[in-house]
Amino acid sequence: MRFSTFIARNMLNRKVRTALTVLGLSVGIAAVMILTGVAWGFERSFMKIYQTKGIDLVVVRAGISNQLSSNLEESVADRVRKVQGVADVSPSVMDTVSFEDRNLVSVLANGWEGGSRLFNGVRLLEGRAIKAGDGRVVMLGRVLGMNLGKSVGDEVGVAGEPFQVVGIFESDSLFENGGLIVPIRELQRMMGRQGQVTGLVVAATSAEPGFVEALSRRIERDIPGVAAVPARNFVQSDLQIRLTKTMAWATTAVALVLGSIGLLNTMVMSVFERTGEVGLLRALGWRRRRVLALILGEAMVLGLLGAAVGTALAYLGVRALVLDPTSRGFIDPNLPPAVVGIGLGMGLGLSLLGGLYPALRAAALDPTEALRHE
Amino acid sequence: MSNPDRRPPLLRAEGLVKMYSDGDVQALRGVSLSIEAGEWVAITGPSGCGKTTLLQILGGLDRPTAGEVFFEGSPLGKLDLDAFRARRLGFVFQSFHLLSTLSALENVQVPMFEGPWPRSERASRAGALLDEVGLSHRKLHRPGRLSVGERQRVAIARALANGPGLILADEPTGNLDSRTQGEIMELLARLRRERSLTLVVVTHSHEVAAAADREIRLKDGRIVEG
Repeated sequence: MRFSTFIARNMLNRKVRTALTVLGLSVGIAAVMILTGVAWGFERSFMKIYQTKGIDLVVVRAGISNQLSSNLEESVADRVRKVQGVADVSPSVMDTVSFEDRNLVSVLANGWEGGSRLFNGVRLLEGRAIKAGDGRVVMLGRVLGMNLGKSVGDEVGVAGEPFQVVGIFESDSLFENGGLIVPIRELQRMMGRQGQVTGLVVAATSAEPGFVEALSRRIERDIPGVAAVPARNFVQSDLQIRLTKTMAWATTAVALVLGSIGLLNTMVMSVFERTGEVGLLRALGWRRRRVLALILGEAMVLGLLGAAVGTALAYLGVRALVLDPTSRGFIDPNLPPAVVGIGLGMGLGLSLLGGLYPALRAAALDPTEALRHE
Repeated sequence: MSNPDRRPPLLRAEGLVKMYSDGDVQALRGVSLSIEAGEWVAITGPSGCGKTTLLQILGGLDRPTAGEVFFEGSPLGKLDLDAFRARRLGFVFQSFHLLSTLSALENVQVPMFEGPWPRSERASRAGALLDEVGLSHRKLHRPGRLSVGERQRVAIARALANGPGLILADEPTGNLDSRTQGEIMELLARLRRERSLTLVVVTHSHEVAAAADREIRLKDGRIVEG
């Protein structure tokens, strides 16, 4: 008989308790995996936008936490172009719109100039791209086109105004796939921001981090009132991403506390019920460390089963989330391996947190007292 | 002058006193005894006279408040008690103490985790021990599906798992009818003969006591005879 057989028999003997404990753990682990996966997906997707377009810096109004709330004079772009080390500057207007009849809210609307660097990484699936001089035309991301049921040539109402769909595109970014692109002048007009942009994206003459940081300092020195933020920092400091990540960590903390208390309860009950058995094992010569390994082993199996079931629930959970048109464009249905690692780590961590005290208690039992308990 | 060829007794107890933590109960009041290798000793006496406490102290399960137990001349307090219990002696209990989730074959293997046997040999060794106690046909049954006599046979096979020379049995026939009691005592006697075991049996039964080489009678925590 293997030691693991012994552990398995003990757990199978208490099937209902084992199943309920595993279920409790798995729900907590799945919640953490889904939230962490979504938060990471947001960040990765956001980062992808800047990477594929070759953007090194994002210039926004100083002191804002989100590009949507930034407001810069468009003329600032010319001043930035003159700073030494700047290769290219593209103005951008960003807003969100809703398509309530399709239950789609907070759809990302980008206003770009035709031929701008911002079109890098945008692959046309159908139709054409926006060009200089276009009026009320729109390019729809693949997911948005699917959610709206629109294709090239159709008309779509954007913020109450009719726009003609000229292209359907695909991007590596989930945000862009779920969003739309209109000519910058049109979005400025609709938002009442003529002559203003929400941000400027800057390509430096060198992508070397030290160079980019020095360029950022030069821009901020030469143009007061703006913040020139390296793309990675900009993504990481984005309010929504920070909120999502904080929520993921808060959920992790709550799941850890609840999960470990649940496991602790199960294992304490198990040790209490099996006091006589522990006494017998000690009477038969089992060392304290073997008793410790037995109880910790059982806790660890519960934790790992919780992680396995939790991973399955998380996969099903994100797939269920993307069935909803609102979230389809923003959530990656594939959990990254690191998130699966977090689930596994949580399972092991919970088993240590919840199993250690009962295991130490069992190992410390006096054999004669324990045998009397039987 | 001491004889250098003379081996010390297998078990020797000197002035054992056992008081329980509240100090009100004195289970043993200066018990001294000596048991030679190969002897069969019955410890008898009325309920509450300290028989089980004495057995547990002799087996290193409990420590005396005063006095010392010597195993082959070495004080138990100086030995690794886990290893002593695992390899040098086997316990048999009145209520068998078998693990209900394991089969007879697996129950016998439980002490082997602390024994010298590689994993591959444990099952065959446990099987041979069950053959020896007459349970060849019940190896894969769990305790719940065995008769009380069969359960005690499994417990005896388990006590022999690591090949000890000493068996300490606490009322091994206490839960058995008279026929099964006779069978279990015959089994213990045969095993003792074939394996040159030393048997120390706590019992209320006159028949069991009569079958032993020597009877030690306890009363109020003291030896009154033997």
